[in-house]
This record gives sequence, structure tokens and C-alpha cells, in this order.
Amino acid sequence: MKKRINVSTVSVVVYWLFFLALLGLYFTNDFGLVDIHKTAIITAVGIDTAENEVQVTAEIAIPQPSQSGENIKYTQVQGSGVTIADALNEINAKTGFYPKLQFCKLVLLGDSCKDKQLFRLLACFYRKNFSELTALVAMCEGNAADMLAMKSDTSDMTSEAIRKVLSDEIEKSANATPATLKDIAQLGYSKSAACYMPYVEASEPGTSENGGDGDNVGGDGGNTGESESGGSQSGSGSQGGGEGGSGGGGAGSAQSGSTGGETPMQFNARKTAIFSQGEFKGILNEQQAFALAAIENDIRLAVLPCDADGVHYTIGMKNVKCGVSLKVNDGVPALTVKFTAKAQINGAKKQIEPNKILLDDAIPDEVLSGAEEALKERFSDLITTCREENCDLIGIKDLLYKYNTKYFEAFEGDILTRMEVKYEVKIESVA
Amino acid sequence: MKTRINVRQICFIMLAYNVVSKLLTFPTALSFFCGRDLLFPALFNFIIEGIVLWGVSFLCSKTDKTFFGLLEGTIGNIGARIVYGFFAVFFLFAALLPIFEQELYVHTIFYDTVPSLVVFLPLFIFTIYAGSKKFENIGRCADICLPVFLTTMAVIFLMSFSGVKWDNLLPVLSTPAKTIFQGAAGTAYSFTAPCWLLMFMGHFKYKKHDATKITLSYVAGALIVLLFLATFYGIYGEIAGSRTFAISRTSIYFPGIDMLGRIDLIMLYVLETVMLFALVLNIQLAVHAISVCTGWDKLPYISLIVNVALATVLITCDNLYHSIQGLYFNWLWIMFIVFSVLVPSLAWLLKRRTE
Repeated sequence: MKKRINVSTVSVVVYWLFFLALLGLYFTNDFGLVDIHKTAIITAVGIDTAENEVQVTAEIAIPQPSQSGENIKYTQVQGSGVTIADALNEINAKTGFYPKLQFCKLVLLGDSCKDKQLFRLLACFYRKNFSELTALVAMCEGNAADMLAMKSDTSDMTSEAIRKVLSDEIEKSANATPATLKDIAQLGYSKSAACYMPYVEASEPGTSENGGDGDNVGGDGGNTGESESGGSQSGSGSQGGGEGGSGGGGAGSAQSGSTGGETPMQFNARKTAIFSQGEFKGILNEQQAFALAAIENDIRLAVLPCDADGVHYTIGMKNVKCGVSLKVNDGVPALTVKFTAKAQINGAKKQIEPNKILLDDAIPDEVLSGAEEALKERFSDLITTCREENCDLIGIKDLLYKYNTKYFEAFEGDILTRMEVKYEVKIESVA
Repeated sequence: MKTRINVRQICFIMLAYNVVSKLLTFPTALSFFCGRDLLFPALFNFIIEGIVLWGVSFLCSKTDKTFFGLLEGTIGNIGARIVYGFFAVFFLFAALLPIFEQELYVHTIFYDTVPSLVVFLPLFIFTIYAGSKKFENIGRCADICLPVFLTTMAVIFLMSFSGVKWDNLLPVLSTPAKTIFQGAAGTAYSFTAPCWLLMFMGHFKYKKHDATKITLSYVAGALIVLLFLATFYGIYGEIAGSRTFAISRTSIYFPGIDMLGRIDLIMLYVLETVMLFALVLNIQLAVHAISVCTGWDKLPYISLIVNVALATVLITCDNLYHSIQGLYFNWLWIMFIVFSVLVPSLAWLLKRRTE
């Protein structure tokens, strides 16, 4: 007798055959995993321009098999091309990194990028899914390639040492104005069309200028290392004009920490590079950058030098609340800069009297007035620069569009010069 | 009537599946077309669909017949089978675009490399299996998915809020009305909830206030989507239209991620399971519709055929996602309006009592 085919059994067999076939396909790809010893992880890129060419220096992490703690080396590899994508492709050819920048935490633009359109230069990073927009962006003194090749005594990884001065903690003290790729695009494509990024400078340890009146942690002068720009050229292994070189890392390949520079360098980012419509407009000094940071960021603890009765004080400010608002009164746009904070004396250029330290929390009115004046001066200085450079850094056109839309078309062109500015600065003693 | 799914499970589907099917490219598409007014086309669609959904769930209170039974009693058996045939095609189209989206999402977000299509094909092991199951399984899956969905979404929202600038949504209604309606029509392909309920009709026992429960579940889902849209645009502002796979982009600015790495990916992996169950629901309903249309009750075979067809389209049209999305946005939205809005509304005209 002919045996009938059991349909349910056949269906199970067909299902498992199909399952195994697909599983086979799955394994042919090694689960899509990558052997990190056969590839490279880009942790930072430096961008310099020359003629019609972009030179990209990638700081690459190379995992080393090791039983000790030191198992990652960092090196720099250069590539060049008409676009950043061209240059990265060259770096890919040299190192075998995957053409995504998921681990890139810092994009450093060299001085030579100042005369280039910012968003044409950075366009590559905004292409679909090429990178998360979390990488910090900064402009640096000299060549980006040279700066990435410097040696730092705060970290083996130069980009990490730079990122330390762009950290969240620095941001909370108004000592830098960190910006990510997302921030820059958001600001650049807003109605204000202006954006900013920290300006990183390097200096040799022990070369700090005698800043301002001494207690200069929060603002005046100080560790800008301007005279140390020569130090930025000390990255002997990296040549700014390198063509990307030949194989094996090629010309412009330098191993950080060994040949990148003889002297460990220190970094600071207390100045800020500003852009309008993607064009470089200038660099804010420390005081202007402080004012911008206070407006744009959430400040937890800021330090402000000021003078009162001929004595220099360093004021520590907590509970800082700062912001700008725009109103149109009788056809006249009026900008209000509001700043409130609780303050205490952190230092004063006078002899300390131990039995009076406990009373320091109650700051004399003249010192509070001095601090308020110092702040007003900084805000005023920032707004003057915005007007002079026609660079809407604090987003006034954006405020006009969002909160006073009906006036936008009328005032869009000349709001920076037309507006009245009012400062409401109130600093109170902690006690 | 044999109860195959219960109202609680339908509510869970309306809440969870309704949301997760709108978290990948829907926010990006709305941001691209309507900018800071992206909430309004979504709200418009939710209101229309919510009313239709309430109508269908209220219709369930008036009859214990299935949708096929209603059709059969009005236009005859052949006519009812033809309508179910159309619904089968509709559900296949409703499943197709999410499959493409899932492929791109998995490849882009879960891999640092550039994987091949092959890596994604094992999905069909799951969809073939799930597609061969009946409504009981759909309900059980929803029971499992809801707590997973609520937990992951809560964590993702918590991680996202720190980076939101709510004033990015201002000024309100600055986009021309025509653009808002175009955005609403073009993204109608993401709205299929009334059709789901139409298929479940007659397979669950209606009790008093069930229509309200189902509609409120849908409204809760709609509110979550609207909150997510606002969060997404609040984080990215003007560049939101260029950031695809929105659900993976909002939590990335959580301060702890810088120190701990992409811990949000754990939540995204877990949420992915809910997304897959939501995706497979349309396949399950397509299989069901084909089975009813043809009278062939061998669901595994139907599921195999349906999935092979979908896989074939995926393989042959790989890299054509944007063309396919354009097809949905420009033309196929009409089909979704017809099947998700018009047909469920017209269901009230069907004879509810047997003569």
C-alpha cells in the first residue's frame, strides 16, 4: 500500500532546511565582526587646507596584545584630497579603518581652515550615518596635524588631552565654549546663521604669562600661551604639507608620545573662534568667550576677577542663571541680558586675616558692584563684537523669529545694530 | 464565536505597536517636510485614524461577526473573498517598507562596519514562523511586548530629555497649511491601526466600554509618538530632517554616554524585539487575509510564500530604499487612506444582522 506523505512532517523538515540555509549565510559573514588588529580606530581627525586640497590627519588607536595596562598605541596618519572623504579614503587605504567615524571624538580645524567655508569643509561628517554628531569640534592655533602630533603629559592620547580642556566640567565653569558637530550645524543653519567653536592653543609647561592681576583662573589674560606658538611646530614627525605619503603610514605618520614632540605641551581653549554664514569672523578673547559661555551654557561655578576700592578680588559664582530675551516695544527691538548669581570671595590681593575668613561669605557691596560692572563690560564687549562682525552669536535673529515672528522680515537685516541692549546683572552674597 | 484574542491584548497592540512602527523614519520624514511643525501632520493623522478606530471598535459592539462575515452577509462570499484579497495585498505593502527600514536600521545602527544584506536575511526565519501563527499568538506576543516597550521607552525618554531645547518647535504653525497636509498625506503609510482592528473583529468578545478602552490605548500611543517627535526635533532642530532612525539619535547626548559608551543601545536592542513583533503583525494579517480569501488553511505554506515574496523584493530592490519610500510618500498613501480610513468607515454600511 502506498504510504501517504505526512504534510506536517514535511513542513517541519522544509522549515529546518530553510533555517539551516539562512544560518549558513549568516556564518559566512563572521557575524559581521571585525578583527580590531586588522583595522584601525580613528579617535580624532585634524583638518588642514592647502591650495585646493584638504589634508586630514587621523589619530589612530592601535590595540596591542599586552598583559600590562599599556596596551594601546596612538599614531597619526595623513591623507589628502579634494574633499575630506577623499582624504579619509586614502587613510583607509593605509590603515584599513572602516569608512565610518563612529569612534571619532574630536575634529580639529587648523588655522588654514579660516579662509574656507566651514560647512563645505565639514560636509562629509553630516552625510548620512557617516558619523554620530557627537564629536567635539575645535579650531586650533597652527596646523591641526602638528597639534595632534604633540606630546602631552596629561594623556598618552593627544586628542584626549585636548578634549580635557573641552570637557563638560570646563563648560560648566565658563572657561570654554565646547561645541559638537550637531551644535555647529544647528547654530549654523538657524535663522542666526552664526556658530562658534573653541580655539585651542598649546603652551609649554611653565611658560604661562603673568595674567591680569594675578587671580586669573576665571578670566583675565593668563595661560593663553600665545607666545608659544612655535611649540606647535614641534611635532617633527608630522609635516603639515604632507601629501599623505607612501605606504606603511607614509609621510606624515608620527607616533604620539615618542616622536610627536620633545616637550610635553599643555592645552587650553579659553578663546573662541566665531563664524557667520559659515565664514570665519574672528576669535573672541577670554573675556568675550566667558560672556558667551555664560549666555549659552549652564554654568555651575564660574570665577570672575574684578576690582573694588583698588583691590583685586577673585569672585566665585554659584547658582548662575544667565540668558537673553528679546522684545519689540513700540517698534524698537530691545535685548535684555539677565544674569543672576550667588557669589563668595575666592581670593583677594591683600593680606589674609584668619579671624575674618568666616565673614568672607558676606561680600561688601562695593565688591559686588565691581563684579557686576566687570560682567556688564564682558557682555557689552561681546555684543559690540557681534555688531562689528555682523555675527549673530547669541542667536538674536533666532529669538526674533521664534518669539516675535511678525517682526522678523522687517528687522532681520539690521537687528544687531538696531536693537537696544539692557543689562540686568545681579550678584548677591552667598550669605 | 471563538475567542482568539482579548481586548486587553488589542489595547496593548494599539499602544505599543502603534508607537514602535513610527520611531524610525517617520520623525525624519515629517521633520524634512514640515520642519518645526512636524507635530501637526502627525496630530492630523492621529485624529483621523483615532476617530476611525473608535468607529470600528464601536462597530464591534454591534455585532459578533467577523469582518469577513459582515462582508459575506452584504456582498456575498465571492465579493468578501475579493475584498480580503485586496486586504492581503494591502498588508503586504504595509509590511514591505518597514522591512526595508529595519534592514537599514540594523545595518546602520547595530553595526560599526558595513555588513552585507545576508546578515539581515535570518529575519525571515522569524517572520515565516510568526506568520504561520494564529491570532492567539499575536495576543500573547502583545502581552509580552507591552512591559518591554514601556520600560525601554521610559529609559530612552529619560536619557533624551537632557538635550532637548523645546523652543526649537517655535514659532508654531509657521509652515504653510498645504505643506502640513502634504506631510500628513505622505506619511499616511505609517497609519494602519483601524485595519488591524477590522481583522480582529469577531475574534474577541466585546464587553461594555471596550471601544473606549481600545481608543484610549490608541490615544496614549499617539501621545507618546507626539512627545517623541517633539523630543527629536527639540534635540536636532533645523538638522532633524537629515537624521534618520530617530529612535537611535535622541539618547545619544545623554551625559553618561561619554563615559560609559552607548549604553542606550541596550534599550534599543530590547526595543527592537517589539519593533519586530509590530513588523510581523502586518505579515500575520496578510497570511490570515490570504487564508480567508483562498480558503486554504495551511498557514505555514502561505507564510512561506508571502515571506519568500517579501525577501525577493528586499533582495532585488536593496539600495532602492529612498525610491521605494518616495513611491509610498507620493503615490501609495492613497492606498493607505482607502484601506485604513475609507474601508473601515464604510464597514458601518455592512449588514450586521443575518436575515
